[in-house]
Amino acid sequence: MQKFAPSLLVMALGVALAGCQDNGPQDPKVSINKNPYPSTYQPLASQSTLITNATVLTGTGERLDDADVFFVDGKVQQVGKDLSVQADKTIDAQGKWVTPGIIDVHSHLGAYPTPSVASHQDGNEMTSPVTAEVWVEHSVWPQDPGFNRAREGGITSLQILPGSANLIGGRGVTLKNIPSHTMQGMKFPEAPYGLKMACGENPKRVYGRKGVLPSTRMGNMAGYRTAWIEATEYKREWDKYESDYAAGKNPAAPHRDIKLDTLAGVLEGDILIHNHCYKAEEMAMMIDLGKEFGYHSGTFHHGVEAYKIADLLAENGNCAALWPDWWGFKMEAYDMVQENVAIVDAVKNSCAVVHSDSDTTIQRLNQEAGKVMYRANDVGYDISEQHAIKWITSNAAKSLGIDDKTGSLEAGKQADVVIWNQNPFSVYAKAEQVFIDGAKVYDRNDDKYQAQSDFMLGQK
Amino acid sequence: MTKLTKSLKLSLVAAGLFSATASAASVAIVNATLHTSTEQGVLEGASVVIEDGKIVAINPATVNADATIDAKGQIVTAGFIGTMNQLGLVEVGAVAGSRDGGDDKAGIDFDPSLAFNPRSSLIPYARKGGITQDVIVPNGGDSIFAGLASVVDLSGSFESVNKKQVALVVHLGEKSKGSRAMSMKTLIDKLEGEKSAKKDDKKEPSTEQKVLAAVLAGDMPLIASVQRASDIYELVKLKESYGINLVIHGGDDAVVVADTLAKVDVPVIISSMANLPGSFDSMHANLANAGKLEKAGVKVIIGVAGDSSHNVYQLRFDAGNAVSYGMSQQGALSAVTSNIADVFGLNSGAIAKGKRANLVMWSADPFELNSHVSKMWINGEEVSTEARQDKLRDRYTTDSAMPRAYTK
Repeated sequence: MQKFAPSLLVMALGVALAGCQDNGPQDPKVSINKNPYPSTYQPLASQSTLITNATVLTGTGERLDDADVFFVDGKVQQVGKDLSVQADKTIDAQGKWVTPGIIDVHSHLGAYPTPSVASHQDGNEMTSPVTAEVWVEHSVWPQDPGFNRAREGGITSLQILPGSANLIGGRGVTLKNIPSHTMQGMKFPEAPYGLKMACGENPKRVYGRKGVLPSTRMGNMAGYRTAWIEATEYKREWDKYESDYAAGKNPAAPHRDIKLDTLAGVLEGDILIHNHCYKAEEMAMMIDLGKEFGYHSGTFHHGVEAYKIADLLAENGNCAALWPDWWGFKMEAYDMVQENVAIVDAVKNSCAVVHSDSDTTIQRLNQEAGKVMYRANDVGYDISEQHAIKWITSNAAKSLGIDDKTGSLEAGKQADVVIWNQNPFSVYAKAEQVFIDGAKVYDRNDDKYQAQSDFMLGQK
Repeated sequence: MTKLTKSLKLSLVAAGLFSATASAASVAIVNATLHTSTEQGVLEGASVVIEDGKIVAINPATVNADATIDAKGQIVTAGFIGTMNQLGLVEVGAVAGSRDGGDDKAGIDFDPSLAFNPRSSLIPYARKGGITQDVIVPNGGDSIFAGLASVVDLSGSFESVNKKQVALVVHLGEKSKGSRAMSMKTLIDKLEGEKSAKKDDKKEPSTEQKVLAAVLAGDMPLIASVQRASDIYELVKLKESYGINLVIHGGDDAVVVADTLAKVDVPVIISSMANLPGSFDSMHANLANAGKLEKAGVKVIIGVAGDSSHNVYQLRFDAGNAVSYGMSQQGALSAVTSNIADVFGLNSGAIAKGKRANLVMWSADPFELNSHVSKMWINGEEVSTEARQDKLRDRYTTDSAMPRAYTK
């Protein structure tokens, strides 16, 4: 027996093996809750609604004149001429226009709310260049008066993003623009998370000042690559844990890291990239960066130079979320052209989006899209209203991964609908009634449907 | 477009180094819809004749000019006038070397028009919005006094500073540190100091003394950048005691004291797009404010908020939105033309005999998204709206076998 008495070394090895390779009884499986702050959003009470005789832009590229839109139980049921349906409520929209609810893919409402006092600066975790561990939903103040102003401009869904100080700034969240006193009450059910990245001047300026990487554009690239290498290794550890456990082994779960949870979520395709990136050469490199690590480079936001690489963006399936005319505030925003969106849009398989990144222009994305349409048509493009509306509805929904749910007036889609007093691509256009999931959430002519933030209540 | 660019270049040569007078050839614009920005209102099927940089006739019995342009019914307005920005004083906001609008040491005597660059790439772009003149202002340093405003035209000429030192700009209201009362005290002390100063006839007064004297005489407007109603009210009291010519800039909450402002004749330079409580000073910002101030009888000037140096071209859309939310069409036009001329003493901003020939012909309603500038004249000279942006667009939308760099 003496001979077979295990040595201390062998005993230690045995313990170690029991911890990760044991085929014996399995410990409970460690799994990560991917939705720890779930949506509690419930559509407001609605009635079946028939909007009649409107000019309808469906968001799919179609325009229907003198047409009707019918929605029931929060879903679009029919769109067409002279619908013969029974509705609880009929709205005569003669002379008015109807579009899908407007979607802004780039907002900081709630995270950089008004009043923009120091206590409210919750959009940039400027303490490290890679902060994939932060989730902007944890910063959202639902009482931001800007949500109400945006709804008055027809905004029914919006993505809130962290700021652009960091190479990887954290998770974005998509909200239904519904008044609520909790973030969860606004959270768009089953919308994928976004991950904010940023190219160019901002990260290198913020961290260069602190004397840490990145202080250059090459430092930016090194920073992303280092992060994705860590994420790749982390994902491999978890994949191995999963496969070993599935094989009946009793492996030890890897140490959990919430920063790498998010990056691994991107590598798994669950989380979509939203990258603040102005310049052509940087966007081209970010596309390759995605290929290097096996994830899709997602939507480029701001993309002032997107027109220089319109073909590359379409080839690689990148949406470009752009302003009509912001420029000159930084070197990387110097090469603006007013036709940027139209040039990106003109390529086959493109995905052009008009975004705001602003608590004021979010209220007029219809006008922002209109500026692009008319400036492009001035120089020979032939862009129609039914096409331009896609930039702020269906293409935006595609960018956010919610195009199976909203962004167009098609049977089965969520009844997010705006009735405009006239052609929405006019400086005089106003949203008159706004519906989210079939429920009226705003009426310009009825104070009962005009929400007010706690902050504004009772102010003199 | 190329032709227009050439004519602009020629006009610069013709203008010469010291001569700001335009060529003598007269131009008649006929069959126009003139939105005059005067009590004449809108004149249909009208003609306007320009010569020597001035408007010389409106609807003359017989049109007699070297060149005649048929407007084919298009709207012609006075050139729009931007305000409260650093046009020509900045190229790229974040590039320090391209910024000349402010200085830490700036004060009452700081005049940034000395740094005005008529060849800035922002100027042709601003013309796309029908902007023909602009009130440039210093953007501030350590003092509450940012310095002196000047009026420039957008001709691109080295002689485009039309009028120097037209107003003194002071920043009041909320502060990141300390009390706003200290800012008011600083302002009062300066006014009081100048008022009670013993005049030494032998000594030439300093620029600061001259500016303060002009402010106290009511000859030079004092533009106070301020939002909160109580601050505005306090300034009205100051106006009453010192007889200053007060202009409010910002005025998010001016609507609260609109009747008072109308009574004491204080103009307000407002962003018609402000409708969020940016701070506790701005609880009444609202899209309807421009129209409400107009109805109360306040002289309203619409200015573009934010980076108005790069974005002043959108002034016309801000005016359109003001109309959409209750301002009269005439009122909004005045708010981007004649009201500015009135406040800063400019011989422009209206289509009337003797006025500077700054005119814009529009393809449609100038406040609408679908319109554009058909033609425009500054000091009687036709100018182009072609900008660097157009060159970039053409480069990247023109097919070429060679790299884009060869497309010029």
